Amino acid sequence: MTYKINHTTTYDYTESVSLSHHLLRLAPRDLPHQRCLNHNVEVAPQPAISERHFDYFGNAVTFLTIEGAHKKLVVTSESQVSVTPRATPAPAETLAWENVRTSSRGRQMGQSLEANEFIFDSPLVKTAAEYADYAAPSFTKNRPILEAALDLTGRIYADFKFDPKATTIATSLEEVFKSRRGVCQDFAQLEIACFRSLGLPARYVSGYLETDPPFGSVRLIGADASHAWVSFYCHGLGWIDLDPTNNIMPTMRHFAVAYGRDYNDVSPIRGVTLGTGEHTLKVAVDVAAIAETAKGQGNASISTATNL
Amino acid sequence: MNNTSTSGITPTTTKIFGGYRAATDVYDESALAPGNSRPHWRDFISSFEKLGREELAVRWENGRRIIREHGVTYNVYGDPQGLERPWELDMVPLLIAPDEWRSLEVGLAQRAKLFNLILTDLYGPQRLLRDGLIPPALVFANPGFLRSCHGLRVPGEIHLHLHAVDLARAPNGQWWALGDRTQSPSGNGYALENRIVLSRILPDEFRDSQVKRLASFFRILRDSLRQLAPQNTDNPNVVLLTPGPHNETYFEHAYLARYLGFTLVEGGDLTVRDRRVFLKTLEGLQPVDVIFRRVDDSFCDPLELRGDSFLGVPGLVEAARAGNVAIANALGSGVIESPAFLAFLPSLCRHLLGEELKLPSVATWWCGHAKEHKYVLDHLDDIVVKSGIATQARKSSFGGRLSNLEREDLIAAICARPFEFVGQEQVALSTAPVWLNEKLEPRRISLRAYIAAQGDTFSVMPGGLVRVSPAASDPIVSMQSGGGSKDTWVLSDSPVAPVSLLTAAGQPLSFPRLAAELPSRVADNLYWLGRYVERLENRMRVLRCVIARMTDEATSENTSELAELVQLLVRLEILHKRFFGGVSATELQHEILALVYDSERVGSVRELGLRIRHITSVARDRFSVDTWSILNQLQSDSRTRPGRIPLANALSLINTLIMDLAAFSGMEMENMTRGHSWRFLDFGRRLERGSNLINLLSSALAPKINTPVLLEPLLEIADSSMTYRRRYLAQPQLPSVLELLVLDKGNPRSLAYQLTALTELAANLPHYGNDSIQNPEEQRLDRLTAHLLRCSIPDLSRLAANEQKETIAQWLGEWSTGLTAVSNELSHHYFSLTISRVS
Repeated sequence: MTYKINHTTTYDYTESVSLSHHLLRLAPRDLPHQRCLNHNVEVAPQPAISERHFDYFGNAVTFLTIEGAHKKLVVTSESQVSVTPRATPAPAETLAWENVRTSSRGRQMGQSLEANEFIFDSPLVKTAAEYADYAAPSFTKNRPILEAALDLTGRIYADFKFDPKATTIATSLEEVFKSRRGVCQDFAQLEIACFRSLGLPARYVSGYLETDPPFGSVRLIGADASHAWVSFYCHGLGWIDLDPTNNIMPTMRHFAVAYGRDYNDVSPIRGVTLGTGEHTLKVAVDVAAIAETAKGQGNASISTATNL
Repeated sequence: MNNTSTSGITPTTTKIFGGYRAATDVYDESALAPGNSRPHWRDFISSFEKLGREELAVRWENGRRIIREHGVTYNVYGDPQGLERPWELDMVPLLIAPDEWRSLEVGLAQRAKLFNLILTDLYGPQRLLRDGLIPPALVFANPGFLRSCHGLRVPGEIHLHLHAVDLARAPNGQWWALGDRTQSPSGNGYALENRIVLSRILPDEFRDSQVKRLASFFRILRDSLRQLAPQNTDNPNVVLLTPGPHNETYFEHAYLARYLGFTLVEGGDLTVRDRRVFLKTLEGLQPVDVIFRRVDDSFCDPLELRGDSFLGVPGLVEAARAGNVAIANALGSGVIESPAFLAFLPSLCRHLLGEELKLPSVATWWCGHAKEHKYVLDHLDDIVVKSGIATQARKSSFGGRLSNLEREDLIAAICARPFEFVGQEQVALSTAPVWLNEKLEPRRISLRAYIAAQGDTFSVMPGGLVRVSPAASDPIVSMQSGGGSKDTWVLSDSPVAPVSLLTAAGQPLSFPRLAAELPSRVADNLYWLGRYVERLENRMRVLRCVIARMTDEATSENTSELAELVQLLVRLEILHKRFFGGVSATELQHEILALVYDSERVGSVRELGLRIRHITSVARDRFSVDTWSILNQLQSDSRTRPGRIPLANALSLINTLIMDLAAFSGMEMENMTRGHSWRFLDFGRRLERGSNLINLLSSALAPKINTPVLLEPLLEIADSSMTYRRRYLAQPQLPSVLELLVLDKGNPRSLAYQLTALTELAANLPHYGNDSIQNPEEQRLDRLTAHLLRCSIPDLSRLAANEQKETIAQWLGEWSTGLTAVSNELSHHYFSLTISRVS
């Protein structure tokens, strides 16, 4: 399936801004089951600098500098992504979760070393006994890890209410855990905290969700903005995605953009402005399937160029 | 002299050192045993003895005076007594023997080289992690590991341009490394200042001891930093980035910036455009090539690092990524300050350098490994438990001193997250003699040593900063907890060639500074310094005028002048409106004393003094040592002193302070280069003097004020009585007073003089862009001067003679408005500040 993703971010400043720098993490990643066929970003006003690099986690980042007085900034990102089905391991046949924990400790190499990056506390996700306690009923003795993880995902889905009014970017994980309300970002970070508090590697995934469900499918939550979910590590299988906001394993309707330890590492747009005023932010995301006529995605002309 | 005196030391002749009771259970730096000095101390001790107690007391006082005059201070966080504390320096240096230093030097250079290789790997291929030489937790759980700095190009693969190592000497005489400072080590500026002070108060001892000089080390540091410039390699623009005057070691930042010839900047002075760093100066944006930073790693860029930081520069990481600016030390180098690394240094050294670690670290057990974890729990009473990774996370716990409950909590914390903890051996620090109450007492010490990168080798500073524990029993040394410091004399086998450093104390190492490097923030501060200095002088002259009439014998002239002066003070809004009708003598005395001493009262002498102190501290790298002495004198003179004759005391205080201000103005007029720094300072002074005079005259000419009675006081306040008497040989008359104070261009106190000076200053202020267009403040000043010149003396005389005070007051009012507008234009044009926000 091929999808077209439009993501528009509009900043309105109360006072004129003379200089601003932004970091964009908007380009979908290339993965075994996902290809970014095209990615285009338009910025108004015209940036003086637009430079791309890959960050520590392999995410594409664009650095922007906008010079000259402006009271509005619009960043429009347009991407085309094709996805193919991915194999889902049979939950009952996965490793006992304690084995994963043991293998994640001590001197690690290769991919397991990479997993070690996601065991420890990160700026927004601090491990604590209360998260381990919350996860404990799912992680019973010797339970296969995917079974346990799916059970945990289901419990978060059941126990926590999706409520965009309850939290902001500044709401701490502790508050979310107490109020039992939040949005996809909060649920992803909560589940990460549960994994890490048990000594298991888990990372944050930012991306998009199909907004216009195929006929007969359930409409998924989190439609009008970018989405977030969690990915945990299992030796031998690699990273396995889970979406606690919708209680599903992402397959064909999730499109990954960036990986990181928490939201801080992957925020789609982060900026510093020079000026004294406040700002308001509007975000609009649209994901739509496009007809399977353009079969060009297999050839070498795959483009991920940023065209600014 | 070396050979003659060594044998002359016997316990009977050593009056001072002979009384020194060195501790016997630890290593003492100066004594082998009580009464028996170590060989390399004997020359010094003999010379010290010869000075005798009396002379030593004089020298000690002298040293303290130099420290005060140089304004050497250390800011203590959370100190209710105020921000700055005078630097504590002991008169007895720490002496280190030549051969001992040689082995330390080799160990320190090896350590810097090793640390640099570790950083190169962690911010690059991370082979040490893959090969299992460093456990992942040390890096991945480390808040000092900055992922956005991974893969950044670092010139010459040098991350550490300045590395500091805290050393302690164990009872067996062996030096141990207690820990490292790798992001922005502090203290070497203080070490340099210590050297300057000590070599002045003990010049013969310093010369005869063949002490290695520090200047060459700072030259290496300066040259190495300059060589980092990715462009402008001939004359790179190097800045020293400070978090600002609230930082504990701000004195040192200003001091080093002056000494090394770098521009002292705060984050707000820099901006990133085109992926390059620029300094915002009065003449526009100047490219910056190298940043020598004293801002901690994660505070350097709110865009890519900590978003809540206002100390850094948004976009700095991107500029470094583009290779357009060099940052020393490289961003992220703080990661290896974590004590847990100490446990792995021996194997890392073998692996990376193929040799043994020459300078051992204090024994450290990282609890992330089961065996060490158990060892720490089993030996809790004998060791110190610290955060092994996040250094700020918790205070050190001394197992043996914990209550049962604290001990249980600690054990639970270690078991819950073992990898976050290390256990360290408690080092019994060595002692050294400290001059206290005119005798020597043993105190615990540790030595901070410094290593600078020089090309691909590392150079050790021959000396260091010794920190002294505050009490004999206290094993902790820290400037924050109130200890003192010592100079370190590394002795040489052969005579040491004198280096110009000592004669040129406090002077920059003769390097041309860019003409246009005055940051706008500094110009702003200098302008306000000029204003406050002048405001203080004016305020004191007004008060002196009043107090003199209160304390002198009560002639009828005095009494009537005093009554009228009170009305003038009310008009000037110095006294409250309620005193308009009159005031009792007691009430007046109370008010006047408050106007001198009350630091809470806006515009009081004390309050203005504090403002001046604040501003000078922000721009301190702009003043010479002599100017600093005067400014410090001003501060110490303005402190309240108890006395039984309050008004007389206030009067003598004011007299002293007026002399201090005169010294400052003299320094400004005679010693400051006529650059933009001076221009903004003088602009502030002239503008303030002009508007003070206008206010004074307008108030004196106000309705219901008996102007003639005030003419004498007016001349006094405007410091023009002498001139008046010499010129007019008569009792003051309004037309002549106005002529002298308003129109006489030759009188440096007159309004015409101020306006002429302002016009000239304005013409030379920096221009943005098109030179042919006048600055707004320039145009406004021209209009003011023209207006002033139009009103000739006969006009004024006629107005004055006809008692047309209102018309004169109206003119004065117009000029006053004009001057206010000039000030606003200036601020808007040059100093408009901007705040950055993260979203």
